[in-house]
Amino acid sequence: MHDEIDFDRILSQYPADPYEYIDILTPHAGRLVFKTSEEQPVSGPSGEWQHVPGTLLYQLERERNVKPVRSVVNGVVASLERALDGQFVEAGEKVMTLRHPLKKREIIDRILRNVLSMFLAPERAKYFFALDIQSRIDKHGQRSISIKPGDEVLTMSLMKRDTPVLYQGEPGIIHSVYFTPGATVDQDQPLIGICPEDKLPLIQKIIARVKSEWE
Amino acid sequence: MKDRVLIANRGEIAVRIMRACQDLGLDYVVVYTAADQESQHVRLAMNGAAGGQRAWRVSSYTDPNDILAVADHTGCTAIHPGYGFFSEDYRFARRVTVRDRPLTFIGPNWEVIKNLGDKINTKRVANRLGIPTIPGTDGPIYNEMEAEEIAARLLDDQQRQKIKNPSVLVKAAAGGGGMGIEEVFRIEQLRRVYRQVQSYAKRQFGDGGVLIEQCLRDYNHLEVQLVCSRHGERVHFGTRNCTIQSTGRQKRLEAAPGFDPACFDYVFDSQKVLAQIVDYSLKLADHVKYDNVGTWEWIVARDGSPYLLEVNTRIQVENDVSARISYLHGKQPSLLREQIRLALGDTMGYDQKTVEFKGASIELRLVAEDTGRGFAPWIGVIDKFSFPSQDWAAVYTHVPFDRPYTIPSEYDPNLALVLVWGDDMATAKERACQFLDATVIEGQNAHQEPIMTNIPYLRANLDRLLTF
Amino acid sequence: MEHIRKRLAKCEEGIRYLCQIKEGCEWGNLSGLLAKLDELKASFYDYSEEGFSDEVSQIEEAVAFLAERCQEEISPMDRVRIVRSPLRFSLKDILENVYEDYTELGGEGEANIDPAMVVAKANILRRVKNRVFTQQVMVIGHEKGHGEEFRNGGSTKPWGNEKALRFMQVAETEGIPIHSYIFTPGAYPVEEYPGAAQQIARNLYAMAKLRVPIVSIISEGGSGGAEAIGLADFRLMFSHGYYSVISPEGAAAIEGRVGEGQKAPKELIEQCAEHLKITAQDNLDLGTIDRIVEEPPLGAKHDDFAFFKRLRFEMMRATDEVVLKTKSLRAFRAYELKLKKAGDDEALVNPDQDTNLHIDISWEMNDDEQKRLLALRAKKYRAMAAKAYLNDTTRFGEFCKKTSTRVAKVYYTVVYDILKRQQKQVEKVIKEVSGEGSSFVKRLSSPFTAAYDFIIHKPEGRSGKTPAAASRQEALALEFGDTYTSPLANEDRTVTCPNSATRGCKDLWVPDLYGEFCGVCENCGHHFPLEYQWYLNNLFDRDSIREFNAKIGASNPLNHPVLRQKLQNVKNETKRHSAIITFQARLLEVELVVAMLYSDFRNGTVGAAEGEKFVQACELAKLQRKPLLAYVHTTGGIRIQEGTMGVIQMPKCTLAVRDYVDAGGLYIVVYDNNSYAGPVASFLGCSHYQFAIRSSRIGFAGYRVIRDTTGQDIPPDYHSARNALKRGHIHGIWDRREFRRNLHQALMTMGGRNLYYR
Repeated sequence: MHDEIDFDRILSQYPADPYEYIDILTPHAGRLVFKTSEEQPVSGPSGEWQHVPGTLLYQLERERNVKPVRSVVNGVVASLERALDGQFVEAGEKVMTLRHPLKKREIIDRILRNVLSMFLAPERAKYFFALDIQSRIDKHGQRSISIKPGDEVLTMSLMKRDTPVLYQGEPGIIHSVYFTPGATVDQDQPLIGICPEDKLPLIQKIIARVKSEWE
Repeated sequence: MKDRVLIANRGEIAVRIMRACQDLGLDYVVVYTAADQESQHVRLAMNGAAGGQRAWRVSSYTDPNDILAVADHTGCTAIHPGYGFFSEDYRFARRVTVRDRPLTFIGPNWEVIKNLGDKINTKRVANRLGIPTIPGTDGPIYNEMEAEEIAARLLDDQQRQKIKNPSVLVKAAAGGGGMGIEEVFRIEQLRRVYRQVQSYAKRQFGDGGVLIEQCLRDYNHLEVQLVCSRHGERVHFGTRNCTIQSTGRQKRLEAAPGFDPACFDYVFDSQKVLAQIVDYSLKLADHVKYDNVGTWEWIVARDGSPYLLEVNTRIQVENDVSARISYLHGKQPSLLREQIRLALGDTMGYDQKTVEFKGASIELRLVAEDTGRGFAPWIGVIDKFSFPSQDWAAVYTHVPFDRPYTIPSEYDPNLALVLVWGDDMATAKERACQFLDATVIEGQNAHQEPIMTNIPYLRANLDRLLTF
Repeated sequence: MEHIRKRLAKCEEGIRYLCQIKEGCEWGNLSGLLAKLDELKASFYDYSEEGFSDEVSQIEEAVAFLAERCQEEISPMDRVRIVRSPLRFSLKDILENVYEDYTELGGEGEANIDPAMVVAKANILRRVKNRVFTQQVMVIGHEKGHGEEFRNGGSTKPWGNEKALRFMQVAETEGIPIHSYIFTPGAYPVEEYPGAAQQIARNLYAMAKLRVPIVSIISEGGSGGAEAIGLADFRLMFSHGYYSVISPEGAAAIEGRVGEGQKAPKELIEQCAEHLKITAQDNLDLGTIDRIVEEPPLGAKHDDFAFFKRLRFEMMRATDEVVLKTKSLRAFRAYELKLKKAGDDEALVNPDQDTNLHIDISWEMNDDEQKRLLALRAKKYRAMAAKAYLNDTTRFGEFCKKTSTRVAKVYYTVVYDILKRQQKQVEKVIKEVSGEGSSFVKRLSSPFTAAYDFIIHKPEGRSGKTPAAASRQEALALEFGDTYTSPLANEDRTVTCPNSATRGCKDLWVPDLYGEFCGVCENCGHHFPLEYQWYLNNLFDRDSIREFNAKIGASNPLNHPVLRQKLQNVKNETKRHSAIITFQARLLEVELVVAMLYSDFRNGTVGAAEGEKFVQACELAKLQRKPLLAYVHTTGGIRIQEGTMGVIQMPKCTLAVRDYVDAGGLYIVVYDNNSYAGPVASFLGCSHYQFAIRSSRIGFAGYRVIRDTTGQDIPPDYHSARNALKRGHIHGIWDRREFRRNLHQALMTMGGRNLYYR
């Protein structure tokens, strides 16, 4: 992390390709029937309580249970494994790719990944915030929590055992959280993004700049 | 129609079942999860891809829907559950056998699994047949006063028998695997502990029923291996001793036969006790019409009194320990092969008299773990993995020898099973040491620290085998 | 000139009023008249005074003619529109004109806990000869305002009804009568505390035994909202009012299966208004009201002063009658005679006459009179809708039933009132002998899902108490197989749990789910619905169910054209006659009476037959001194095709419950699946002990109604049992697999040792 950040370079890569490509994998085995096709627009769940379901992408029939699989993001079907239509597929099979136009928030998020100091997962495991950190987050929000090396920030759950994870890296506040509690995170994937307090104005500047430049 | 077996398991047992199927000339299909992509059982199935795709990716080894969908799609006629996962799930066994497209469940029929899977019921039936069980309740208790009464009686009885530090265990009736168990030494503690266990049981299992039994210390854990057919034939393959376990009550060292007077000076007639628990086991098996392989677990106290603990209605990891001291027409049998063959409807083709027992055997479970720190699992990559080749030893593993292997963090870090045998226990022990010394396992974790295995622990504990 | 202009304005008002009634200006060339009017206004100065007057007279005549014609052929829907007109008199007009002076309580105008509900302490004037008496009353009613937004059209929020209840209790303390004016299209259907349904139920429960005379009068009587203040000793209705189970638009939306956001066709709405029998005359014929108060043609407006005079007369007369009936029949007769003699009857014909009562009646009551008042109130409601259901019981059966009821009465009096003391002593001895009574504890502990008893089947010993003597004639054991498994389980397929996305539930194999899992997701505990038979078979002790009143059947009291065939079909399908099953049963040796609303029969809706059966269940439980369980498998509300015959079940059943509870009964309600509207807002919601089965929904109105009336979206879990628990509506959420044990525990802890808790 440097004080001089080449904003222009970072920012310029987004107008060229302001998309995220999301692979859709089957959650389980079964016979697949597509319900959309290439270049079709899709939408994620909507409504005040996310109670309006997203676009139906495909159906997966297993043990006489036809399960609809719906889109969780907005975007367009970029590609689709047409050959799988009507076939029995395995679990975790890639069946299509969605092109999801990045929102301002998501772009900021991505840029910040270059700027913030990342704390990476030491092992492929499940992670949780340490109890007192979690309660402080619940009370005051994550941005209010400053941590320093040696703090017990996370709990790693590996092979049914919980181990405390001590923070190593620059002291600062927890700016971004990249993991879902209880979901497996691969080794070296970022868990949290830390922002040293003196860099906060810089971060604000980036956010402001993206907000103003990006429509 | 020729049978095709779906192997619904992973690791070394999947490999062993594959081999058994090959021996029997049966076709098979394996399933695997994304995390096990590199596992040997998948590799082997992929390599032998003569009859189309043999390995299918599923979401989880514990999702019956995926497994059955693959079974239907690949035209399987039978499912082998291995151990763990679905092996003792009577609902799975029932579903497999009663669905519109029924399959053979390689294991006992589901009603037997259900009846013997319920420990409380097993205890009741055993008591009725005059088979000894651990003193205590034979049904769930929901009432504090009743619990206190029983606990007081159990403590008094122990006092009378002059047992040191008498205590009782309070267990969640619906629990298992060591969860929800608390020990109580003084009757005054009981109510507090009772409430604690009850609320735990309610939360965890949805039923607040609690069991109370005498706590036994200073005992040996013995097992009787039975093999039965669908045609009412029942034989035993001797006893084994599984007393040496990790702190999480996981077995690490097993030996057969169950006792050996050469190892320890028992205060009881060890041969008589072994014969007794075999007889009891067969008696219960007859009563419930047991029809596949199964293990009867026993606790034998220092004074030689046996108590039936439970019945495992599945093939066990350590089945081969018993097979290595048993001979059918001069050959060591494969119990897995017997299991599959008998489940598919074969008759046994031999009887108890045909089974000859001789020598001694030991199983060593090689696990990547830190035995000094509560057997904490070790995760990392294995680079070098080799075992000596001996005609008195066998190795079962899913870890490949020819390439690096990353231990998946989703499952227990078991690496291999090593079986050694000899004419007597002393020889077997000696060979075990020799074998361990020649074993090479190298690797490191994410922090470049070298691999930790339980080999030193296994070596150190060989002397404890078959002792009190 | 000015007075002619006023006449013109009056004409315009008249035309606009007619336009409102007829919903548009097409009828009777109203638009032509309006055009003419505009023309006149525009050319005001071109006319001489006389000429203009003539023109106005012409229009006046035309308007008068049209008004007359409109009144002659007035349709039910016209009445609905009259009632909703901003020109119609409101409660404030009544307070100004009928009462002498008043003070508004619990808020004023917009500064109000709920401006749609007005409460006022008021004085009403009585002239006897030349002396003047004032009498105090508590006036409670909905205020529609004259189009003011904040009045919410008289749609009361839960806290508005709570305010009403509070001041009813003040009236009770002070011993003054209550005049209740109903001007509501329905209650505002929100669940926020205290909750629409809960508050209405509480009001009904309190009014059932309120120890002062209550006179209510209906202008716009919209279902539950109306009942919240409508339970009365004397029920009046304005001649142009309407009283209905649902708004005609709402009925049309349901009948026409109109999608959301769309409007039902006008003809269908008119038809529904017709079929629902909502007019004053209809309701008088049906017996849901006692008298009609005549209004001028096309309804009274805010400035019909003669009408207010008459209203005062009618309200006083009704109050007098209620009071006198509690004194003696002779006093009541004498009163009527006097009225006649004084010529006050004339007043009914000619409203312009002096409408003063020339008789002095005190509205105070002594204890005995209060008791009689309550007895008469109970009797009045008990008799309502008596002809609105089918009863196939033969006369002989009826005779047997009556006789056995009488015998039972004696039997239970002896057992409970005379032998009680002795019995207690015996019990004491038994208890001492058996120490802690652990045999009883053991039975308690035998688990519901018998996972443990496959080889050893514990014989369930001990016979029950003496079987009930009552209605043995009709007692009929339901068919039981050996063990009951839901027919839903007979299919080899899987289903997805609705929580699978958030809780990671695996697909469930149907035979497991509906068999061993009792319809419960083993991972997250979500309850899939099960048929009512499952509960009959699994909740109660084996073979202990004896149904009664099975033959009392739903009928079509309003001759609703749609209902007849539908009823026939559902009776054929279910082989049952109504949406409620009432039976006696045993649960772990506890005898109880059960009323069970179930979904298969018209979605568990309540009509006259269901209400009657429920009331009889209360009576039986009271007679036999047994606890009463209302298990609501599902109820969709009041059966709308029965109109006010259905609505009236709300107070009717609540009175029966109150009677039972006051006699010492233990009444427990358990909701399952979906429970909505009228029943929840009355005889179910009034229970002191309400519970719900997991994954059930409880509330007043569904999504759509809430959206239509409040214009707001509600969260998907708005009606969930958990939220009902948070709001204090229910006291616990039970797992279906624990139902038996939980219910037993509830009976024991709430009922105590005698179960009939006092």
